Amino acid sequence: MKLKIDGKETQVQPGTSILGAAQAMGVLIPRYCYHPSLSVAGNCRICLVEIEGAPKLVTACSTPCAEGMSVLTTSEKVRAARRDVLEFLLINHPLDCPICDQAGECGLQDYYMEHGLHKSRFPQADKVRRHKRRDVGKYLVLDNERCILCTRCVRFCEEVTKTGELCVRERGDRSYIDLKPGSRLDNDYSLNIADICPVGAFTSADFRFKKRVWFLERTASVCAGCATGCPIEVHHRDNIVYRLMPRPEEGFPAWLCDEGRMTCKSLRAPGRPAAAFCEEGNLKPAAGLRFAASRLGKLKPEQVAIFGSPFMSLEDNLALAELAAAIGTKNFCLHFSTEPGIKDGILKNTDHSPNSRGLALIHAVYGGYTREQFSERLASGEVRFVLGRNEEVKAALAAAKTDIPSSVFSFSDEPAPGRACVLPAASHFESDCLFINYAGRLRRARAAVKAPEGVLPVWQAADRIASMLGAPIRLETRAAVLERLKAKIPELAAAPLSDDKAEFELK
Amino acid sequence: MAEQILLKHKVVSLDGYKASGGWTALEKATRMEPAAIIDEVKKSGLRGRGGAGFPAGLKWSFIPKDSAKERYVVCNADEGEPGTFKDRELIRMNPYLLIEGMAIAGRAIGAKTGYIYVRGEFAREAALLEKCIGEAKVAGFLGEKLFGSGFSFDLHVHKGAGAYICGEETALLESIEGRRGQPRLKPPFPAVEGLFACPTVINNVETLAAVPAIIEKGGAWYAGIGAGKSTGTKLFSISGPVKKPGVYEAELGIPFKTFLEEYAGGMADGKKLKAVIPGGSSTPVLTAEEAMNARLDYESLAAAGSMLGSGGIIVIAEDTCMVDALLVLARFYHHESCGQCTPCREGTGWTEKVLRRFEEGGAGPGDADLLLSISNNMVGRTICPLADALAMPVISFITKFREEFDAHAAGNTCRMGRK
Repeated sequence: MKLKIDGKETQVQPGTSILGAAQAMGVLIPRYCYHPSLSVAGNCRICLVEIEGAPKLVTACSTPCAEGMSVLTTSEKVRAARRDVLEFLLINHPLDCPICDQAGECGLQDYYMEHGLHKSRFPQADKVRRHKRRDVGKYLVLDNERCILCTRCVRFCEEVTKTGELCVRERGDRSYIDLKPGSRLDNDYSLNIADICPVGAFTSADFRFKKRVWFLERTASVCAGCATGCPIEVHHRDNIVYRLMPRPEEGFPAWLCDEGRMTCKSLRAPGRPAAAFCEEGNLKPAAGLRFAASRLGKLKPEQVAIFGSPFMSLEDNLALAELAAAIGTKNFCLHFSTEPGIKDGILKNTDHSPNSRGLALIHAVYGGYTREQFSERLASGEVRFVLGRNEEVKAALAAAKTDIPSSVFSFSDEPAPGRACVLPAASHFESDCLFINYAGRLRRARAAVKAPEGVLPVWQAADRIASMLGAPIRLETRAAVLERLKAKIPELAAAPLSDDKAEFELK
Repeated sequence: MAEQILLKHKVVSLDGYKASGGWTALEKATRMEPAAIIDEVKKSGLRGRGGAGFPAGLKWSFIPKDSAKERYVVCNADEGEPGTFKDRELIRMNPYLLIEGMAIAGRAIGAKTGYIYVRGEFAREAALLEKCIGEAKVAGFLGEKLFGSGFSFDLHVHKGAGAYICGEETALLESIEGRRGQPRLKPPFPAVEGLFACPTVINNVETLAAVPAIIEKGGAWYAGIGAGKSTGTKLFSISGPVKKPGVYEAELGIPFKTFLEEYAGGMADGKKLKAVIPGGSSTPVLTAEEAMNARLDYESLAAAGSMLGSGGIIVIAEDTCMVDALLVLARFYHHESCGQCTPCREGTGWTEKVLRRFEEGGAGPGDADLLLSISNNMVGRTICPLADALAMPVISFITKFREEFDAHAAGNTCRMGRK
């Protein structure tokens, strides 16, 4: 159907809201209670627009477009309504922006500058006081005084997580958001509430008071917390990652799970090695690689086992596969069996690894043992040295009921006692790398921060070790790794791996 | 006194109701085509008695004919508007009239179930209705296959929990469904998606109680009573310093002057009339002169700048302080705002706070204009009319009695002798 918005003609599908139609034209109608992924509440009244000929202003979020309608979004009536709604919203607001974490990304601040700019007509002493700093869940703090009662949080818990922890209590200007009796906000997606809260009522207990948001730099990346591979934005500054936020991408909901958001915590975990911990003591990362190479160099090829991982990138696993081939050992494993799928109907995957599909592609080309066979190989006594990711080597050795000297790559603070050498490795927050998610979609993690000095991604470490062994695999640069991936893996032959923007999905 | 339709008989038993001619309209309705019942109600010109005055027959005709869903008749007996107490009186006088009216409405729209949503404070009236419904079921006036027809109808009483907002029809539906009582966005209207997301007709007690007489005697007969488009009789509840405050049934169109003098006995204690709120506390106030020249019907009161509303007439005498009276209203609407929409949630409280300054000292010269500005910023910008229900009195009180507000703001003693 056709209609006019601010005098310009547009065409929309029947059922489109005025707000939606305007947005498609690039006209952003202010909103607080409206959220594209939640039901329409129509309570904040900031999105009031004028329909020519209609006696009253209507809410753009809840009013469907009608044929021939002429909508005004900037008429004097509309601007007055926005100003008045803002005034109403602010009279009982504490105006504590200087100590509020929402400052800088606050709907009240933004719209006041754009639509309000009125002088206060309300005495400070008359403000309604409410609870502040309420501990309402593992990751959230609630300030009822800052709340504008848009009910996005209540609807999120009812409609998305279906856990229904929240409700509105009392009436009128005594209303406040509260936990239902006996409940706490400890669902798997609670931090989304801090995101969708348009003001500083719900803030992240973790991010609170850490950094002013206008200082944050933003890097588009993906979450490696499970096989779903959600699009994220890494917010960082001065080489510190402060928070992970969901990033809009076609095919993904607007959310991020709490577990995924916390994956950046491992970066600066106190136990994360920045040096190589070897039998000989702590070495610089490069010296650690030399140590590992010297141990490998003393063994026959079959005595060396190489262990790929679905928790490591396509690049890392390819380099390990190439290293195994260069050494000439048959004792390697690039296998992982999993049955991935969204387990909670939202985002969380039954498969916790970000790259099992990617690993399978490499396994199909390079072969190697399955995990079960590999366990037998480890138990056979032939293998004298293992190279792989810390957590998995540990698990594999435990399963094989054996202890073999090993050199492990560590991305996190997971303890690695008894290993011959722990090699620090750059994570996906610190190096550009690729995963393939459970649905076969190529996922691009981008380096947001720098790894500690000398710490390399696994693919580069593998390349160095191969060179030190005199069996170079020629993967000095990432471009070379991507070329090798395209050359070796038929499914990726046509994939735009080096084009940072291009999307790709396995057939 | 003119024609009495609603308060004609004080009925205390099922037998008494039968003796007064009860159930004949329902029996007739079970033999009528549903469309014919709706036509008759349309012909009667009966308009909603809850306050909005929407034509009842038209409302019934909005129920989709082809919907496979269940349909419901809901009676709004959540009478909570200050100054309005006529539904309670009607239920006390003749609860069967409402029950019969609901069954006829059910027949008209194809509903098998009805709910009477009774204000929580009306505990005795709810018990009375439950008792009468129980008797009617035993006697076969409610239940399966009424009067040997294929029409079955059952009624339930649902008690409110003390929120004025549940008198707003969609908040009422939310409340029956067990949710927080707050108005829904419209559309969809209840006729399409009402109770339990099914087509629903919601009418006021008085509206439904008028239906049996219309079916029995015909829409044309009913339309012959009243004035113009305001057909029939109306219950008026009059309060304030009058000799005989109470509930009276009068023909629509009766001059206020006649009603005040002949029904309510005139002003008490020789007091002089100052102002009248004609249709429940949310309707704009009229000056004594405006009121004395007005007739009590939908059109006349609209022309006078107010509304017939629920027919709750609040009489204000010259010794009443208008600032004080408005503060009472503001306190009520502040207390009862559901808090959903920003302008109402914040505006009602703000209005009360400013009015307190007038009463307790501290109001400045700009505060009367501030009140007008707050009200103008509330009007027409919310989901339901509760914001307007405070804004309209504020605007009319200040516009018509400005000097009293200015005197308070200037720090003078209230002319009524209050501080």
